[in-house]
Amino acid sequence: MRDFWRGLLATLPLTPGIVAFGLLYGMMARQVGFSPWEAVAMSLIVHAGSAQFTALGMWETTGAIPIILTTLVINLRHLLMGASVAPYLRGLHPLWKSLLALWMSDESYALAIAEYERGRGSHHYFLGANVGIYLTWPISGLLGALLGAAIPDPSRYGLDLIFPLGFLGLLTAFLKDRIGVAVALAAGGLALVGTFLLPGKWAVIVAGLLGSGLGLLLEETKEAWKTS
Amino acid sequence: MENFLIFVGMALATYFTRYIMIAALGQEVPPLLRRWLRYVPPAVLAALVVPAALAPQGQLEISTRAWAVLAGAAVAWRTRSVLWTILGGMATFWLFRVLAPYFG
Repeated sequence: MRDFWRGLLATLPLTPGIVAFGLLYGMMARQVGFSPWEAVAMSLIVHAGSAQFTALGMWETTGAIPIILTTLVINLRHLLMGASVAPYLRGLHPLWKSLLALWMSDESYALAIAEYERGRGSHHYFLGANVGIYLTWPISGLLGALLGAAIPDPSRYGLDLIFPLGFLGLLTAFLKDRIGVAVALAAGGLALVGTFLLPGKWAVIVAGLLGSGLGLLLEETKEAWKTS
Repeated sequence: MENFLIFVGMALATYFTRYIMIAALGQEVPPLLRRWLRYVPPAVLAALVVPAALAPQGQLEISTRAWAVLAGAAVAWRTRSVLWTILGGMATFWLFRVLAPYFG
């Protein structure tokens, strides 16, 4: 129970970022003709920020199937995140696993996996982080939908930097040796190049796969060196 | 009602991507795969940070954002704290914004 609260509290530094984007989302949802109630329903049911923004952009021009397929593609990065957190969830009841997966966001995943890496992680902490994000997102979306057109662009105030800065703080948990640093640098560079070349979130997926592959390769090389 | 059905479709698509690997790797994970998976978090986190700092709109721009994230990286390295990293990066962003008019 204490871990649950620790996880919930850990989301607080990220809250201004969630609120800023939640307000913007609520306003945009109204612009494509959602009622405030529908704006909240989407956040409560889907709970995937990037996919929701993209869906709003498509709402008036495409049908249901393209929207759902795009959602699937944007969220493919969660395959990588799910895979990397899976070994820590072994032995948990399937209900726990499905509950943790249901509310897993980029942010709560990052908080939880860094805590696991530091040896302090637990499924209660993960759930707390999930719940923290899951509560803030629809509430700020509702506020945005009710306030309407008065919402400024979060990037004007640098609020779009809160997530990347938070991820940076969590990244340090994985930079314990030179291989970890090499993985982060390579993946960061690949993601930047990927952003110029690939649509949507593909850069994250490609950089995540190649960067982590490089880590394994370096580790194998080091082992081979030692034993030879 | 139709909107609601699309929400459910989107939710199923999202949930599939979040759950399938947790379920698939729910038992014994082969050691090699496990070692590989340990490098996924730093790769994914770095991949989320760098484009947001250097190409927030999709093309390269060395702007206030880049300096703010660089300052954040220095704070992160020293403190390993999410809160301090965010405060340091945001303070840098605002400092640049306030000073920008004086430097044209």
